Amino acid sequence: MTDSRTMAYINMYAIFGTLENLCELDAASSAMLSNQKPISIGFDVTGGPKATLYFKNGKCRLEQGIGDCTIKIPFASCEKFNGLFDGTVTPIPTKGLTHIGFLLNTFTALTDRLTAFMRPDPEDLKDREFFEISTKLMFYTIAVALAQIANNDEIGKFSAHLIPDGEIAFNIKNGPAATIRVKDHKLVTIKKACENPRALMAFESIDLARDLFDGKVNAVACIGEGSIEMRGMINMIDNLNRILDRVALYLA
Amino acid sequence: MSFPIYDHTKSREYFNRATKVIPSGVYGHLGPAEGNFIPVTDWPLFGDHAKGAYFWDVDDNRYIDYMCAYGPNVLGYCDKDVDAAAIAQAKLGNCTTSPNKIMVEFAELMVDTVASADWAFFAKNGNDVTTCAVMTARAATHRKKIIFVNGFYHGISPWTQKVDYPGVVPEDVANNLYVDWNDFEALEKLVAENENEVAAFIATPYMHGNYKDNELPADGYWQKVRELCTRKGIVLIVDDVRAGFRLDLAGSDHFYGFEADLICFCKAIANGWNVSCLCGKEFLKSAVSSLSYTGSYWMSCVPFAAGIACINKMKKLDTPTMFREKGLKLTNGLKDAAANNGFNLVVSGEPALFYLRIANDDSMMLHQEWIAECVKRGIFFASHHNHFMNASVTDKDIELTLEVADEAFKAVAKNHPELF
Repeated sequence: MTDSRTMAYINMYAIFGTLENLCELDAASSAMLSNQKPISIGFDVTGGPKATLYFKNGKCRLEQGIGDCTIKIPFASCEKFNGLFDGTVTPIPTKGLTHIGFLLNTFTALTDRLTAFMRPDPEDLKDREFFEISTKLMFYTIAVALAQIANNDEIGKFSAHLIPDGEIAFNIKNGPAATIRVKDHKLVTIKKACENPRALMAFESIDLARDLFDGKVNAVACIGEGSIEMRGMINMIDNLNRILDRVALYLA
Repeated sequence: MSFPIYDHTKSREYFNRATKVIPSGVYGHLGPAEGNFIPVTDWPLFGDHAKGAYFWDVDDNRYIDYMCAYGPNVLGYCDKDVDAAAIAQAKLGNCTTSPNKIMVEFAELMVDTVASADWAFFAKNGNDVTTCAVMTARAATHRKKIIFVNGFYHGISPWTQKVDYPGVVPEDVANNLYVDWNDFEALEKLVAENENEVAAFIATPYMHGNYKDNELPADGYWQKVRELCTRKGIVLIVDDVRAGFRLDLAGSDHFYGFEADLICFCKAIANGWNVSCLCGKEFLKSAVSSLSYTGSYWMSCVPFAAGIACINKMKKLDTPTMFREKGLKLTNGLKDAAANNGFNLVVSGEPALFYLRIANDDSMMLHQEWIAECVKRGIFFASHHNHFMNASVTDKDIELTLEVADEAFKAVAKNHPELF
């Protein structure tokens, strides 16, 4: 019930995209880039997403397109690109071979670090700082994956076609926030707080958000308990929740 | 005057107990999630007792109830005539091996009451009879596709849900086609594109969907739909579960001047005693007879006795006329109260089932705030669902409602100095 093209968009924008937040939130990750000259990696997926990761001054930025990348890695299909994430495909650059060291060392270390936060050892989560970074990264990944599923997955598109135009505030109280912008049933996630929402969905704490992400609590029950706040255009939230159901399917 | 703000401490205590043993505490439309209790702290979560137009929650707060248990309360809670008939029948037996003879009397009453009915088939919930209607249409036509109106609600079986709902697979809804309400040309085109494949067109008598203003049928719409369905051999199903008997005791199809082939009733049949009914035309009696479709409690006769008493009392009181008059008095008063406080309250749908929306913002947040201010002062409105009139609502209740509504508007205005 998932498709490889949607998965490729999630891997590109939601997983690789979260490297941006990793470098902001995790000092160790930022430090890996501290002595690094500016460098970029373009991922060119035939029949799928094309985007470039830029690394500069200890920070990371993902942008659509592969125009001016230092290293370019083509993938013949979405399935091949997805294979990069499950370890079945080894990337072979067609440009920037002299920078292969960054790819094999720094970039690999960064993605390993991301994996440590995204698929954490339960022992690591006992450390509060690790727990908070891990949960915030999951929040951003989910927020971006929502838009990818809404725009690419067949059932996600069905949900999206019932969402009217406007912005949805998607927040953890006293924590990370995102804006889901809807225009003509296409969704874009902006990783900053929404200023003028038509609808709002907010988790009362980072701990609650974690339990929801881990499937330990149910969102409907949380609404009754008041630990999830929703207001505004409920039909926007209702359909967003249906897409959220599919996020779990793709990110499992 | 200033109305006291209700406390919901015991409701919360019960809800906390409930979440341990009941999925999500209260599931479905009576629960805080689907019921859009925004914010949840302002709403009662469990009731204690009810009488007439009121219910009392577990904190002993009294509400004038304009949701009427989402429709079943049509005469007033615990109506003495209906309950006496039910209790008398209960002493004779309820769920028995041989269906009680009162089932025949109830079916005869339904056929005599509903203009388009030649027969009556009983079940329990609205979903039972909408499903029965669709199966009957498919059995009669040997076709598989069903046309729905966008924004529909016809129950909770997989065929009535959407492809993205939890527990629903694409195959469940693979034969569902969709068209916009009041768009006859689109319907005609859809039928042409699916020539000889459409078993039924199912719709409510008017569009009383949630989260949007309700829409009455355009002039001539139903008559054109009726003619198209007849010409193309499509069974015309009216889902009158929500509006049934509140507009017209002969059925909402009768109210709008056409005849359905199948018409589904539930909520207002028996004043809260659990029974639903599919009525249909003679030509479909063989098809419905052929279905393998039954339930353990469908022929329980206590609700039949209640239904007979309820329908006879509704006829005696002429409740549709009463609901229209009371609904208009209430909603005109609400609109005036809104305007006096700088709000634009849009009232849509039929007065017996009025739908409310504050149109000052495009997010519904002001509307949700106003509804909550009403609820916590004892007027039970719903945020985004049509309401229901019942026969026990008095002029005094309406006056009190308008006073509370006025104070609620003032409270919202006070919270939004930037707008007023």
